[in-house]
Amino acid sequence: MVPMSTKLTRRQLAAALSTSAVLLAQAPAPLPSNPDEELKAAKDTIQQNSAQLAKFDLPMATEPAIHFKA
Amino acid sequence: MAASIPDDIFFASITEINQKLKAKEFSAVELAKAFCARLEQLGPRYNALALSLRDKAVKAAKEVDGDIKRERFRGPLQGIPFGAKDLLAYAKHPTTWGAKPYAGQVFDYDATVLKKLTKTGGILAGKLAMVELAGGPSYRYASASLTGPGLNPWDPTRWSGGSSSGSGIAVAAGLVTYALGSETSGSILTPAAFCGVTGLRPTYGLVSRHGAMALSWTLDKIGPLARSAEDCGLILHDIAGADPEDPASAGKSYYYAPQFARDLKEIKVGFAPVDFSEWADPAARPDFAKALETVRSLGVQMEETKLPDFPYGPTIGTIISSEASAIFEPLIQSGDVNQLADQKQIAGLKAGLEIPAKDYLKAMRIRSLIQEGLRTLLDDYDVLVAPSRLGPAPKITQPLDRPSSDRPLPKERGMTTLIAAGNLAGLPALSLPCGFADGMPIAIQLVGRPYSENLLLTLGKFFQERTDWHKRRPALQG
Repeated sequence: MVPMSTKLTRRQLAAALSTSAVLLAQAPAPLPSNPDEELKAAKDTIQQNSAQLAKFDLPMATEPAIHFKA
Repeated sequence: MAASIPDDIFFASITEINQKLKAKEFSAVELAKAFCARLEQLGPRYNALALSLRDKAVKAAKEVDGDIKRERFRGPLQGIPFGAKDLLAYAKHPTTWGAKPYAGQVFDYDATVLKKLTKTGGILAGKLAMVELAGGPSYRYASASLTGPGLNPWDPTRWSGGSSSGSGIAVAAGLVTYALGSETSGSILTPAAFCGVTGLRPTYGLVSRHGAMALSWTLDKIGPLARSAEDCGLILHDIAGADPEDPASAGKSYYYAPQFARDLKEIKVGFAPVDFSEWADPAARPDFAKALETVRSLGVQMEETKLPDFPYGPTIGTIISSEASAIFEPLIQSGDVNQLADQKQIAGLKAGLEIPAKDYLKAMRIRSLIQEGLRTLLDDYDVLVAPSRLGPAPKITQPLDRPSSDRPLPKERGMTTLIAAGNLAGLPALSLPCGFADGMPIAIQLVGRPYSENLLLTLGKFFQERTDWHKRRPALQG
């Protein structure tokens, strides 16, 4: 079976780019004052990252950068 | 015999020192003893020293003196004292990774980069302090280190930058001629910028990471912090190359060859004016503006551009957190993670274990597009230039994850996420001191295509021929 190519045309790339929102810095939350708050803050950050990644529409053919070459 | 070494030598370039060694103005042993004494005396004052290797250094220097006597010249790094970030294994000596849980850790082999440097006559004077676990997923305070906060030689109330904190301090304070650091996302460029030294982040895979602590398999790089772009080129020449022990090794060599640089008139440099005029700290803007003009004066073609729009921060954050927590899972599960100094780092490592596979894979898929997007951008530009950091080093007590001012943020993003973008795409970057703000060094970064180190270093060399920021020295305390 021939694997699907991850090479994108410029048009596909432009389409993917146009769907991502510019991320502007948000007002910082107060500093956590104990380990439990710190863990909650870390989990919140992961959730926020997850939500940002979820908003990004990917072409189905896009493979992860597993065979990473610079 | 420290008195026989002139003070200027502590701030001299690799080439200058090597010439004086060959001319027998002083011996390699005298040089090693002088640097080691300085490192032992001043290193702890700035929290830069993890481990002095004086005895080994003097022994190695004796061999260099023997080689020089017999005219066995092994290259410009022969006899030059250097330091290594304490994440590089050095056999039978502690390698702490800057973290209390690993304070007693000893390996029985040397990191490949240390083998390479000692083979060409390099003198390892000491292991240098670092932020614990190279910063892990994130940390809040400069004090996130087994050795305390890295104190900036230009003002010890300010941070040195991290995670290669000791490497930046030691070069800036003349405790070694150059140092090895590592970068996952900013850990060479940041201390180089804050300490006023030149730092090179090589292309991913160009320098072996065998024997280095892993923080992120797909992002970690080893590179030099030194006095100049030329010194970075000489160091990279010796440490680059294929290594079967590093699965990410690109199998490529590197030859420092500025003499074969393209005509600068052909070079297209992209920059985003908003980075320099609005994002930069107001105190840094005048010298950043002059730096841009200096780059322009080299004869290159300057054009305005910006980075393609991607969620760089969430992408690199997800990748580093996922990989770091997987790497340090035994530390986390054992509970020893709680011995770390920084509460944010502890929490980040624990939370990282809960990142779902779909998020890591989504980040890695977006990364593919980021690589493609930057490849397309770099079809149009040979080099991108931006501030290495937007302002000078913060105070050591300042939370690093909070803004240092309440200035409203510019609407355009420009290239402020170039550190994350460049690391995600594995691109090389060179940080060049370019002035001062509030009495502290600031710097610009040059970023190029994969394996374009010679172009970046040549531009850096020409920039440093027209400026003297890289030759400024801090007034050391005591």
